[in-house]
Amino acid sequence: MANLKEIQRQIKSVSNTQKTTRAMKLVSTAKLKRAKELAERSSVFASKLNEVISDISTRIQCQKIGGVENRACVEIDNPQMVDLIFVTADKGLCGGFNFQTLKAVKTLMAEYKDKKVKVRLRGVGKKGIEFFIYNEVEMLDTVKDLSSMPDMDRAAEFIQSSMKDYMEGKIDGVTIVYNGFKNALVQELHVKQILPIAVSCNDEVAASSMLEIEAEDSEKMLNSLIAKYVEYNMYYSLIDSLAAEHSARMQAMDAATNNAKEIVKTLNVQFNKARQGAITTELIEIISGVESMK
Amino acid sequence: MNTLQLEIVTPSGAIFKGNVTEVTLPGEEGEFGVLPEHASLTTLLQAGVIDFVKEDKVTESVVINWGHVKVDENKVIVLADGAVAIRGDSESDIAKAIASAKELVASASDNAAAIATVSAKIESAAHQLI
Repeated sequence: MANLKEIQRQIKSVSNTQKTTRAMKLVSTAKLKRAKELAERSSVFASKLNEVISDISTRIQCQKIGGVENRACVEIDNPQMVDLIFVTADKGLCGGFNFQTLKAVKTLMAEYKDKKVKVRLRGVGKKGIEFFIYNEVEMLDTVKDLSSMPDMDRAAEFIQSSMKDYMEGKIDGVTIVYNGFKNALVQELHVKQILPIAVSCNDEVAASSMLEIEAEDSEKMLNSLIAKYVEYNMYYSLIDSLAAEHSARMQAMDAATNNAKEIVKTLNVQFNKARQGAITTELIEIISGVESMK
Repeated sequence: MNTLQLEIVTPSGAIFKGNVTEVTLPGEEGEFGVLPEHASLTTLLQAGVIDFVKEDKVTESVVINWGHVKVDENKVIVLADGAVAIRGDSESDIAKAIASAKELVASASDNAAAIATVSAKIESAAHQLI
């Protein structure tokens, strides 16, 4: 009988877990919808901004028209130190979502080390921060509670110091690593170099219509545009990462619910078998008792 | 008639996308108008009102707090930080839009004269609607 009780207890506990995971899945589904909408609305702006920026920097890099002295637009040949910014979730229970990002960060760091480039690590998201603290990797600075609530102002504030160091020549590159949203089932890892602005020298683009920048404020305009570009890319990676986080969690929780269902099923079979066994033993006891009385 | 394509986008989404016959932009160094076949240019915008005349000759206004514009021969792309379109079906909708537009401008600039100028423009744009 003890065995029966034990199995019953297990069934109850597993189905309680199942309830929790199902609820978490539903919550993530709802949040995913909102995050996805935000990311989609934002992507229009992102594509236009990138269009304008790449147009300008292509001109600068490929045709050497003005602005060559601006650090943001020229490739730096021999980088000494770079900023690596990673974005992870604040919460776990989302499958391999965080770990994928962290793995990419580690690979990148190893690559930089081979090239003898110093890396300054800056982190967003509790999970990634905890991971690097545990592994005793030094981080320049860290922000929590930003990846779960993306906010343009806070994102801008965070990226500003990297931007400033870059412009002053303290660092020679800024790269963001994050896990982005592709569709509800697939997350896509992005490693995005935001400074210096990466362009591909495409003759077709360069041959398009003339672009005139009013000479007097060209420097000022370029600077403010680049600042916007950098801030916005930071913000966009946050919201993209949030959408991906929810989709990953949704999947993970769905899988957990299904697993729980399986376990309950096998436990039920076990329970029935044990009950049958108990009844059989009881019957045998009674019968053999009667037999011995004869 | 010649038209140009106007796009106004902000981080939180596109505000306007469509063909217009003319557009007036609040440039950093003063207001300027753009007609189709304008020479290409790229410049900064300050807090102010963008007026444009749509193909059906209806004038619409969008208030922005900061922006950047790229003009091509037949395309104008405005990248703004925040933007509010002055439009609505009822008077209360319009009033709501005006209030949020004023708030947007007030948060972008601390120059009282500039705020007053823009506010006046917002009012007049709204007046045309009603």
